[in-house]
Amino acid sequence: MSLVTTATRPRRRHHEDRGAPLTLGAGRLPRALAGGALTLFAALWLLPFVWAVCTSLQSEQDAAAPGLNPLKGALTLEAYRRIFEGGNVPLWALNSVLITGAVTVITVVVSTLAAYGLSRGTFRGRRALLAVTVAAILVPPQLLIVPLFQQMLAFDLVDTYWAVILPQTVAPMMVFVLKRFFDAIPRELEEAARLDGASELQVFRSVVLPLSRPIVAAVSVFVLIGAWNNFLWPYIVTNDPDLMTLPVGLATVKDTFGLVYAQSMASAVVAAAPLIVVFLFFQRRVVRSVATTGLGGA
Amino acid sequence: MSTTASTPAAAARAGTTATTTPSEAATRRPGPRRTGALFVLPFAVLFALFLLWPVAHGVWMSLTDESLTLRGTEFVGLANYAEALGDPDMWRSLANTVFFTVISAVPLVLVALAMALLVHTGLAGQWVWRLSFFAPYLLPVTVVTMIWNWLYQPELGFANQALDAVGLGPVSWLSDESWAMWSIAALTVWWTVGFNFLLYLAALQSLPDTLQEAAALDGAGAWRRLWSVTLPQLRRTTVLVATLQVLASLKVFDQIFILTKGGPDGTTRPILEYVYDVGFTGYRLGYASAISYLFFALVIVISIAQLRFMPRREG
Amino acid sequence: MSVDRPLGRPPGPADPGGPPRLGRRRLLGLGLAGAGAALAPWTLGGCAAPGSAGGPNHLRVWDPFSGGDGMLMDEMIADVSGGRDGFRVDRTILEWGPSYYTKLAMAAAGGRPPEVAVLHLSRMAGYAPGGLLDPFDLDLLAEFGITEADFVPGLWQRSHHDGRLYAVPLDTHPFVVFYDTEIADRAGLLDGAGRLVELDSPEATLAAGAALAEASGAAGMLFGHVLDPAQTWRLFHGLYAQTGATFALPDGGPPEIDADAALRAVTFMRDLFDGRANPNNLDYFGAMAAFNGGRGGLLMVGEWELPTLAAAGRPLGAAPFPPVFGRPGAFADSHSFVLPHQENPDPARRREAHRYVAEILRRSLTWASAGHIPAYQPVTTDPAYHELQPQSSYVDAAESAVLDPPTWFTGAGSTFQNEMCQPLQAVLLGDASPEAAVERLIDECAELLDQPNPVV
Repeated sequence: MSLVTTATRPRRRHHEDRGAPLTLGAGRLPRALAGGALTLFAALWLLPFVWAVCTSLQSEQDAAAPGLNPLKGALTLEAYRRIFEGGNVPLWALNSVLITGAVTVITVVVSTLAAYGLSRGTFRGRRALLAVTVAAILVPPQLLIVPLFQQMLAFDLVDTYWAVILPQTVAPMMVFVLKRFFDAIPRELEEAARLDGASELQVFRSVVLPLSRPIVAAVSVFVLIGAWNNFLWPYIVTNDPDLMTLPVGLATVKDTFGLVYAQSMASAVVAAAPLIVVFLFFQRRVVRSVATTGLGGA
Repeated sequence: MSTTASTPAAAARAGTTATTTPSEAATRRPGPRRTGALFVLPFAVLFALFLLWPVAHGVWMSLTDESLTLRGTEFVGLANYAEALGDPDMWRSLANTVFFTVISAVPLVLVALAMALLVHTGLAGQWVWRLSFFAPYLLPVTVVTMIWNWLYQPELGFANQALDAVGLGPVSWLSDESWAMWSIAALTVWWTVGFNFLLYLAALQSLPDTLQEAAALDGAGAWRRLWSVTLPQLRRTTVLVATLQVLASLKVFDQIFILTKGGPDGTTRPILEYVYDVGFTGYRLGYASAISYLFFALVIVISIAQLRFMPRREG
Repeated sequence: MSVDRPLGRPPGPADPGGPPRLGRRRLLGLGLAGAGAALAPWTLGGCAAPGSAGGPNHLRVWDPFSGGDGMLMDEMIADVSGGRDGFRVDRTILEWGPSYYTKLAMAAAGGRPPEVAVLHLSRMAGYAPGGLLDPFDLDLLAEFGITEADFVPGLWQRSHHDGRLYAVPLDTHPFVVFYDTEIADRAGLLDGAGRLVELDSPEATLAAGAALAEASGAAGMLFGHVLDPAQTWRLFHGLYAQTGATFALPDGGPPEIDADAALRAVTFMRDLFDGRANPNNLDYFGAMAAFNGGRGGLLMVGEWELPTLAAAGRPLGAAPFPPVFGRPGAFADSHSFVLPHQENPDPARRREAHRYVAEILRRSLTWASAGHIPAYQPVTTDPAYHELQPQSSYVDAAESAVLDPPTWFTGAGSTFQNEMCQPLQAVLLGDASPEAAVERLIDECAELLDQPNPVV
């Protein structure tokens, strides 16, 4: 598994945002070319956002009028008012928050504990568990939808929050990333605390965790993005619209009035906003999270 | 995997001798042997229940005629596997998956590399670039499909309006057999390239500067340094990114399922949707499991192939 | 985060002592069962059985109706929601198509589906035998005024499985013909009462097509089918039934299909849509648009397009699909109410579900305004229904409705219909001969029957 090990080792060096830039040479031309290319890319990448936001701020009639100008009529928040008044969107948003929160907390707590146990423990079967965990990184979660659904039927958990949450909390990749980090922490510190009579849990909480904040934050962000955006499993295991998350509900449940583009785009903006806002505030952390944990996700 | 290579006993020995004397360890540490296990327990339980068991149970299911309905189940041996290997729809969806993987993974790696190289030049406005390229990755798939469904809308969508403005005919982006998969790939590149972009950017930022400086002193120009220094230094990252991308693209399901349901006429149906169609829509969970495992075998083969292509760690 | 919202939905604190319900399926294994038991208490914490937040009159209902149908359903639900005996209805509209049926089956397999759902009657054979539906209680229905006498016999028959009633039909929605009365008049195809003359032979139909084309100055008969997953099958299956031959798909095969009759039907389809008088290459919306624009005299389509066609403003007439091969018969389906299988149905709420179905049926005159033929006969004999034009002009189509052959893989929105369409489309587009298409139809059926049946 060199694939993971080398790329996810905790980075000791602190990098500036810019790192060591590729020098462009003295001329102005290369700079202009690079700047032009970047601007073009950025414009292409932002265009769908702009188009969606503009549509969401129009009346349905204006949204459905032809033309390349996305703002054909007066701005209005009508579409937003409608989705918050009429529909399931607020409920689904709440479900998304609850489920994402539960998945993130459980995954991070369970994975962190496990990683520490695997890094420091000497219990029988540690090596086997570690090996199986690493091998499990290869198992695509999509592979499991059929047997997992069957299992949820047997547990009588279909159409419950637990059925959505629990299978998402198994994250061998995150355990592995964390374990690599713990392995690199010198043990002397822990031994000192132990000599002071601290229990294993106390050692973990007061010595190891404070040192591990960056990696735990990185893992949390990564898990959170995955849980907020997860579609396939929640789609499979929830049929009751009251239990659906935003991505699932928006894709599954229709309303009486066929296609309404302004409302559709307003719902999209509402579902997109939370993570975009988080990203705006914690950009550096998110970037580092993806860079350190990312190679297992994708 | 150096840490796992040692035996537990050796690890314990290494752990104790490094810090405390053996006698101290004996008296002070009833701990690790037990507590270590307790730390691991919650994960082990979840892991066994929601990963190991389904993997094993799926194998069993693939050997039965398990159905979504409430009728009984019989052991059928390898019949499902035999049926799958002779199932033209399975092969067709597999071919669709491979086609999608090729037309999505190549731009997803190259565009990400280009973006990262451009941003790494240090031009002003770093956060704007990062935001623009990475933000789509933060969107739930449904938001992506809603937005693009609107862009691709035949009469009013941006794509056809833009074509119209330059005098080109409208394209049925999602309902024309020869366009649909390309439209899905374009959307996928927009959606997920930011992830690869960040991986490349991180790799670029951790490259040692010494070679660059040496090359510059030798009078190598920017292009020359890009080709002869930077890109070779990124070889390992590229193999990683490409492998992960291939594995991710092979697993495509969500955006296709929501936008085209595999249509028109099955031309965009990927293998995972075939599993869904066969297992849930067609009730045949056992058969769907068998197809899942054939797909898993492919994933394993590609993962192993990647290990063989992996260059030794550079630098 | 604190999860103080109830997680999970099964039995509440009322029965904390009961053993965890591990599902009606046999357990996956002992170890797993233990783990399930360990999990179950979590799911119980302070939560109630599905929907029991309200009284027994609180019902969750699913349907695939958006657009005009959806609004009419809203109206009917609002109508039964008022008053002292009103229901509290939690309505969910899911996207129509295979995904609707997949979700319904998965919800029923999960044991906590909605109390009432709408199912195309043609799909019942894929649900009832597998235990995904619960049967209706005839006594309860009778108590609320719904009996066998209220339905067309064929429809009532089709709603049974193993002698029990699993579906209560709300409507019949047949494939019909709409015609432009102005163009048809000019073509000399209206009788004294201003109705389309009966086209009772292939020759008469071909001649009518030519006359309509001449009168419209564009196309005669319109039919949209390109890339459509059902249209050619609808046309074909109705025509085939008119020959009197049976189309049966018995379990295990082989399919019982009369190749000669099929060839007659397909050849007629090709001769009719020859690309001259009647275009052969329209898609669904293209055909609709041409008709609405007055560029064709007659449109073959489901009656559910009535609201769209009426809104377009052409002078509109409608008739049952003509008895081209001498006897009436047209492809049709029926939206019907079913009780998805619940693991522990609450008897009081089940009773309310029966009452709900009865109440909605009694209001199906509202439903008829979109074009559907009410299945509940007291409505179709109501003078108010006869005033609905052109709806009442094709009410007879319900008597000769031809549904998909009943088996687990057929029915509305099924891959079966789509597979049947492929060779038929190829014939209309000139890419295959009728002989080859019939052969492929029979082969496809044989192949589908070859699959292990997952339902029984």
